[in-house]
Amino acid sequence: MTAIEKDPVVEPAAVEAPRGRLAGLAPYATALRAAGGLLTVVGAYLPWATFVLNDGPYPEKATLEFFTAPLGVSGFRLHLLVFGIAAIVLAFVPAVPARGRILRALGWGVVAVSVVNGMYITTQGGGFGAITAADGAVAFGAIVALIGGAVLLVGAFAGGLEGHARWGRPLGRFVEWALLLVIYALLLLLVAAVLTSGGQGSVANPYSGAVFLSFLGALGGLLAALHSAGVVTWVTGMSERHRAYSAIVLLAVALLLPLTAAGTQYWMTVAANIGVYAATAIGLNIVVGLAGLLDLGYVAFLGIGAVVAANFSGATAARFDIVLPFPLVMVISAVVAGIFGAIVGSPTLRVRGDYLAIVTLAFGEIFVRSSQNNIGGLTGGSNAIPGIPPVTAFGQPFNESLTIGSVELPAGALYYFLIVVIVAAVMAVFGNLKNSRLGRAWIAIREDEDAARAMGIRTGPVKILAFMIGATLAGLAGAFFAHKTGTVSYESFRFLESVTLLAAVILGGMGTIPGAVLGASILFVLPEKLREFADYRLLIFGIALVLIMRFRPQGLVPDAHRRAELAPQSEPPPPDGSTGPAAAKVAAS
Amino acid sequence: MLSTLLSQIVNGLVTGALIGLIALGYTMVYGIIQLINFAHGEIFMVGSYGGLAMFTYLMPTAIQNQWYFALPLLLIAGAAVSVAVAVLMERFAYRPLRNAPRLAPLITALGVSVALQEAVRVFYPGATAALPFPKAFVEGTWEIPVPGGTVPLRWTGLLIIVTALVLTFALNTFVNNSRMGRAMRATSQDRDVARLMGIDPDRVIVLTFVLGAALAGVAGVLNGVDLGFTNIDLGFQNGIFAFTAAVLGGIGSIKGAVAGGFAIGLVKALGGQYLPGGTAYDYVWIFVVLIAVLVFRPQGFFGETERVRA
Repeated sequence: MTAIEKDPVVEPAAVEAPRGRLAGLAPYATALRAAGGLLTVVGAYLPWATFVLNDGPYPEKATLEFFTAPLGVSGFRLHLLVFGIAAIVLAFVPAVPARGRILRALGWGVVAVSVVNGMYITTQGGGFGAITAADGAVAFGAIVALIGGAVLLVGAFAGGLEGHARWGRPLGRFVEWALLLVIYALLLLLVAAVLTSGGQGSVANPYSGAVFLSFLGALGGLLAALHSAGVVTWVTGMSERHRAYSAIVLLAVALLLPLTAAGTQYWMTVAANIGVYAATAIGLNIVVGLAGLLDLGYVAFLGIGAVVAANFSGATAARFDIVLPFPLVMVISAVVAGIFGAIVGSPTLRVRGDYLAIVTLAFGEIFVRSSQNNIGGLTGGSNAIPGIPPVTAFGQPFNESLTIGSVELPAGALYYFLIVVIVAAVMAVFGNLKNSRLGRAWIAIREDEDAARAMGIRTGPVKILAFMIGATLAGLAGAFFAHKTGTVSYESFRFLESVTLLAAVILGGMGTIPGAVLGASILFVLPEKLREFADYRLLIFGIALVLIMRFRPQGLVPDAHRRAELAPQSEPPPPDGSTGPAAAKVAAS
Repeated sequence: MLSTLLSQIVNGLVTGALIGLIALGYTMVYGIIQLINFAHGEIFMVGSYGGLAMFTYLMPTAIQNQWYFALPLLLIAGAAVSVAVAVLMERFAYRPLRNAPRLAPLITALGVSVALQEAVRVFYPGATAALPFPKAFVEGTWEIPVPGGTVPLRWTGLLIIVTALVLTFALNTFVNNSRMGRAMRATSQDRDVARLMGIDPDRVIVLTFVLGAALAGVAGVLNGVDLGFTNIDLGFQNGIFAFTAAVLGGIGSIKGAVAGGFAIGLVKALGGQYLPGGTAYDYVWIFVVLIAVLVFRPQGFFGETERVRA
């Protein structure tokens, strides 16, 4: 996977000297790396469980099958095999740039995979015996692989880490187009594989969560390795050069998802739900990521959009007896949500920072309480508004399957197409705003409001606009949400949903489009996959939020500005934040 | 109806005293490190479960029915559990972020809040629903005669009001007159200069969390004794009310927190009685008050001149 087709343009990257206790191991780095890779391969072939779990074999109760079928490994053991071989190859090929970093990424991937599977077998198999030796059977696969990963990590650190590799001269336009097409097609397959990996979590399929997590761990290791090797930067650079082309191809690729393995009703529904939250998260990203205004009641705008749409849908519980066509309903929902956005945003004229966050939280709670009490007969109260009819176009309800020629689209695919278009539109709005005069004004306000005002930005209207536009986008998504789920209840718009959306934006990386989509996907796919851990879901979520702020506050896909602002290693931290931003600025200059 | 009005005022004062006790923790922590400790409401909730655990698992049955033994033990257990959780929270969640941008600790606090609530729900036996709490005090009400009827005041309600006033007085004395209190005030004014004067800011900050958590733990147990049950979602709700009270009174001010608590309690009781929508909307009125205060008088009743907040 780290094979490089073109000669890399290696910038003279200074090898970071091995640090601290590992410095003494530097002469053995190659040996350690190779040993780690070898142990990983051995671990992949060893049996992993001493007995068959109650719910059926997990994994297939493997013995040493190397002699009968050397490539007969599948699932997570295949991932380990590939990682191990890659590590061994890398250990002996000094020409590969950023070798230490790639090996470190592979090492973390191996550790993640073996820990997930080992822990799962341990807990489900009733104790430590399940992954060591019990009843005359031995199964040290998990432990050997874990040691392999650890040795790999030690070896990677001992040899010193280089900077990220940078490579790739611009190629001809058509070559790059072709390459991008291939890469995006691979991306589509990858997304389909992630969605379907482990299958649908249920009683009949109790292993879905573990399989999915293990796959995610392997994928994380792979992506980190590619990033270290400079592939990710190269691809991003290429797609930046062909922005319009990339946008069109990505849209087309997204629309092709129903034709892949993910093309069943269940996954289409999941994907459409993710789309709703991705669109909402992008809207929130305008308020939080660009303008730097923390909004803790944002999900209320999704709710307002949904309630408006429900009332014009012709459902029996609707307040108005008017049925409007869906596009018009969407516009009305967006406008109404936008008006509320301006109202919620108006205190920004006088309130800043933490206090503003509390004001937005208060507005969010007022919405929840009012809709719980069925205010004005508009929200259905605790009965919700059920029976909202599906969107229909040309006599085709969007929730049913459709056959065009020989291609049969699964039920829910039409909703999926619709939300893809909505998300694309929202992305276009965000992308253009970010680089506009208004977007620059938002970023200036985020960095320093007083300085922005001094530069001639009218901060009041600009901040209210941020709330308004963010709310409009959420309202749009809300109208879709109402029709797709068929029921609008205040339960869907509680404080926890706002926190989850905020977490999606932060996890992905504030101020970036891929970040918001990635964050929303992770936070809304995981609960679908981890049904068996449903009890612990929120607990893990809360702890994860704390850990992210502690170890990676800039998120998975950081914005360039943000990275400079939040990463402590890029500049010496101010000695003390207690005296406010002015002191921090002085300290940094 | 005079008696209805007075009854609602009494109800409001009881609620307000409880909210004031929680608000003290908010106001002290904010005063010293400018952090809205969102998880403080959960500290209150954890305290009530600490008291409950003491009663259920540790207390000899012989003294369970004698409130003059049981109540102090419950209060100590509640305060101890709250303090332990708060110290861990400060050490592992907030201290590493002390120099981070303002957004980071606030989001961390949200995470801690969710995690604490869920930890109790998952790990405390039976906490998935409301649990009965021992009524470890004199039951019944004091019927205060007024013209045209009587005003009922539960004995537990009186206990809450008296406890809140006594503890506030003690806290105020401590902060204003003791050596450690002076260190707290110095740290809240300027942490660096306080350090130069030989004060260890970390110790002072931990002490602040400890004091706030102890009060919240006591409030958690008293609330359980008064209501006769406890539930995991009481923390979030009362936490928001307490934050409102702290802001209303002027954040950083001890007197202000308690005064704000009483004001919020009265708004809740009287708003539920006399404003349109009735009790279903009493929360909404509190939030309306919160927004109005933040927009029009962010320094609150007793607040100092407005600080620069960014």
